[in-house]
Amino acid sequence: MIKRITPLIFLLSTSYAWAVNSPITGTVQASCSIVTTTPGQYGVPNIWKLSTAAADGGQDAVIKTQIGTADKYKVKITHPNSFSSSPSLSDTLTWTGSSVYTSGSVAGMSAYNGAKVVVGNQTTFDMTLAGTTFFTVASTASYGYNRAFPSGSYTALILAECIAK
Amino acid sequence: MLLGFQAQAHEMTPAYPKFNYSYIEGVSVTKMFLFNRRDDVSYYQIGVFTLDWKEIPFASTSKLIKVKHAKKYPFDVYIRNSDLDRVGYICTISKVFKGEEQRALITSRICSKIE
Repeated sequence: MIKRITPLIFLLSTSYAWAVNSPITGTVQASCSIVTTTPGQYGVPNIWKLSTAAADGGQDAVIKTQIGTADKYKVKITHPNSFSSSPSLSDTLTWTGSSVYTSGSVAGMSAYNGAKVVVGNQTTFDMTLAGTTFFTVASTASYGYNRAFPSGSYTALILAECIAK
Repeated sequence: MLLGFQAQAHEMTPAYPKFNYSYIEGVSVTKMFLFNRRDDVSYYQIGVFTLDWKEIPFASTSKLIKVKHAKKYPFDVYIRNSDLDRVGYICTISKVFKGEEQRALITSRICSKIE
């Protein structure tokens, strides 16, 4: 009798062991990443102008954002209106620029350009969808009335922000 | 290609932090986490603001923090209880230092909101 019961108990116990779950837990939080995909580069199409346009020999900046949860963040992009470092400049600078949505992981993101709010040199996008979004930022600086930029290095900063709503 | 993109990311969580009482009387604290995957940036500045972007005094280990590339950096933000009603945002902004060999022209700022 004991010989018959012992293997039965063993089988039951191993069956029980196989039934134990090993849970993997995780928490998904709202999050935003700002990815500086392509830093901008100024080209010098003529002596009084610096431009990130490819046609001017420059490169527009590309910023990627990754939004973890829909409708939790706004993205604000501020294109430059001054140099953070440059040779001494004695004349006025005229700045232009733009921040545009270029592509995204969700088809509905194409509405971002139509819904964006532009105030001065700051553009605000309401990130109503979760996913990956690419923005292109262009910048142009013109010096005086067709005056030649002094030789040297010029740096201007783009500010990319993710602000929780 | 995807890894190349990820190498330049700035991220901060939680998006909606909550303050708890600290071990200091009259002061509350919340814990934040900064992820630095920007290999062109080593320093970030912490800021605390009202909803209309006025600065609010706060304490932390350091207001300018050095975060190595691909590291997660936890930091505490201490606020006087008397300021709790005014706190709107906790932000971190990447810092580019003059003279540093720096090609990046993009400053990133992420702000979490106090609900």
